[in-house]
Amino acid sequence: MAKAVGIDLGTTNSVIATVEGGQPTVIPNAEGSRTTPSVVAFTEQGDRLVGQLARRQAILNPKGTITSVKRFIGRRYDEVETEIHTVAYDVVPGPDGAVRVKVHDKLYAPEEISAMILRKLADDAGKFLGERVTEAVITVPAYFNDAQRQATKDAGRIAGLDVLRIINEPTAAALAYGLDKKSSETVLVFDLGGGTFDVSILDVGDGVVEVRATAGDTHLGGDDFDRRLVDYLADEFQKENGIDLRKDPQALQRLFEAAEKAKVELSSVTQTQVNLPFITADANGPKHLVVTIMRSTFEQLTADLIERTMGPVQQAMADAKVTSADIDEVILVGGSTRIPAVQQLVRRLTGGKEPNMTVNPDEVVAVGAAIQAAIIKGEVKDVLLLDVTPLSLGVETLGGVSTKVIERNTTIPARRTEVFSTAEDNQSAVDVVVLQGERELAADNRVLGRFRLEGIRPAPRGVPQVEVTYDIDANGILNVSARDKDTGAEQRITISESSNLDKGEVERMVQDAERHRSEDARIREQVDARNELDAVAYQVERRLEELGDRVPSHERQRAEMLVADARQAVKENAPVDRMRSLSAELQQVYQSLVASRPADAGASPNGADQTAQPADDDDVIDADFTVS
Amino acid sequence: MADSQTHETETRTEASQADVEPAARSEPDPQLLRALADLDNLRKRYERQLASASEAERARVTSLWLPVVDDLERALQHNDGEAGPILEGVRAVYDHAISLLARLGFDRFEDVGQPFDPARHEAVGTIEADAPPGSVVAAVRPGYEHVDEVIRPARVVVARARD
Repeated sequence: MAKAVGIDLGTTNSVIATVEGGQPTVIPNAEGSRTTPSVVAFTEQGDRLVGQLARRQAILNPKGTITSVKRFIGRRYDEVETEIHTVAYDVVPGPDGAVRVKVHDKLYAPEEISAMILRKLADDAGKFLGERVTEAVITVPAYFNDAQRQATKDAGRIAGLDVLRIINEPTAAALAYGLDKKSSETVLVFDLGGGTFDVSILDVGDGVVEVRATAGDTHLGGDDFDRRLVDYLADEFQKENGIDLRKDPQALQRLFEAAEKAKVELSSVTQTQVNLPFITADANGPKHLVVTIMRSTFEQLTADLIERTMGPVQQAMADAKVTSADIDEVILVGGSTRIPAVQQLVRRLTGGKEPNMTVNPDEVVAVGAAIQAAIIKGEVKDVLLLDVTPLSLGVETLGGVSTKVIERNTTIPARRTEVFSTAEDNQSAVDVVVLQGERELAADNRVLGRFRLEGIRPAPRGVPQVEVTYDIDANGILNVSARDKDTGAEQRITISESSNLDKGEVERMVQDAERHRSEDARIREQVDARNELDAVAYQVERRLEELGDRVPSHERQRAEMLVADARQAVKENAPVDRMRSLSAELQQVYQSLVASRPADAGASPNGADQTAQPADDDDVIDADFTVS
Repeated sequence: MADSQTHETETRTEASQADVEPAARSEPDPQLLRALADLDNLRKRYERQLASASEAERARVTSLWLPVVDDLERALQHNDGEAGPILEGVRAVYDHAISLLARLGFDRFEDVGQPFDPARHEAVGTIEADAPPGSVVAAVRPGYEHVDEVIRPARVVVARARD
């Protein structure tokens, strides 16, 4: 089935996203970028380029490179006469006073140019997803009139897309944050992009989003901030060296790049260095531009730009007849809203409200459009809502600890099998205690159920293999079974409400585990060390028995002494360090007992290391059931 | 909570395992099919992505270092006139950097004389020159490529026809 996508068709950049497995994701273009410049170029050779490639050749082909066509879509020529001078290509009146773009003596409607951008986005996305993209939700600014919306829709159609809906950019942003699900809220969307600024007041509630007011500045954006920094750097350099870098195109380009980088950095750190060695030269030799810029300097340089956003915000709030106290949520859209001073201003204007900015502000509109597309297609509803286990499920093992079989947040249905063994020689039964929770000690977790598997054939500890399987179906019903691999005897239990905890309870249990984590880890370490020591002492003891007189008496004496020490340490629950060093010594003794003499026929081939460490070959893990 | 659980215990032995219920063959659930298809597609895509992810990361990290190499190059250009032990040393550092990049599979290119190609070049200016119009006259910043992929386009000045 073809994918439905959401497209943010921007003035300077565009983004495409889709919902997959219930999750919205932005789709990179063929060049690997998540945003695509909204630029189309017609080269003299007759090629058509879209996106980054079009931008790269812009300087060679100013008349054939179409940027910011969104400013013209659906407009009449007489409405845009001032805009015409902001672009390098030719804009002419067409039939019925419509706007046409003239390239190499050919006339294009703005919707045709937009269609080329949409086509590239959809084609690249199709390649990435491995299936054709045929349906789309496209966003437009809230202030777009019917003609502009219709023209955008036509652009989609020309691009071969079935336009499911045209939605407002701020509405899409609200959808991305799931605000449509709230009951009744007033939302302010603050969108400061690369070249335009929009502010909207929305009423959302019960799946309906209504735009109450919008205002903005069609020529204010991140580029203006870059320019301020470039001018500052160039002025400082000129003061010091008497050379105007703005007159040198190559130096200017480096300066712009460095300014943009510095701007971005100053959003996360309070000072940054602009480092442009060999930026130019004079008779005295090369000149370097090395300047440290403080965030406070940047804020002074751009204070008036930030002030300019205030008017539209106040305007929109006045038009919507709301005060800052009425605003429930604030959403930030556009890369420039990462600037701390912008965020501070927004907070100030909205009565200290903490703005929403967890969704990437460059992508939030496309993400919301993708969600809208999925809702229209019914995909969000249709998708199998896969549940997860809210808490880990484990089994109690030797030393009273919980060994996790299924970790929390595992997507269900899920099935996991672990192999356990016995803790004592000739143990005839094992108790399976099914635990739920994150704590290390079994006693701190919830017991979901218990059963006993009997009839295990007499064998040394560690030899029997009991396969324990946890199986949770899609409804959260847990089946636990234990099976003796030797006899095939099996025992099982069904627990129907393993995932039926209320949210608060789950939260409490997770937090509990978090709080006790270091303490639990210590206990776990202690238990593990004790189990290990106990196991290795047992192995050495058994080996001594098997070998009998063949062990030289001095060696036997030393081994027996160590085993006695170990037993004592286990009994006293000695410190971890003590138990570990004893384990290491015993391990060594065991190795030498094995190495120096051929294995006795009666010795179990793998019984020896089962309890000490997981054996790679047969999934036996280092945990044993408590003796029943 | 605990008392709402239903505990059913039953004993099974090998013998009773034989009577497995016969598989009921009915129409496959369309939702299941779609979920399975989705999963399969996702798996294929992630396989593809995984293959390119480490390459992409290497390219990303390498390209972060390229401005340093650019600056070394600029240093050498600015000193064209004079010779001296410092210059020789800087040249050695630069050569080292370039050979290291080449070893990582990143090759430097300027493409002077080649026709302008937006997939490889970023135009920063035009100049009247004796070269064929539309060809690269100079690179103000070299490009780098890895096998067939351009990691960073060259910044070039392009010839324009004499008026």
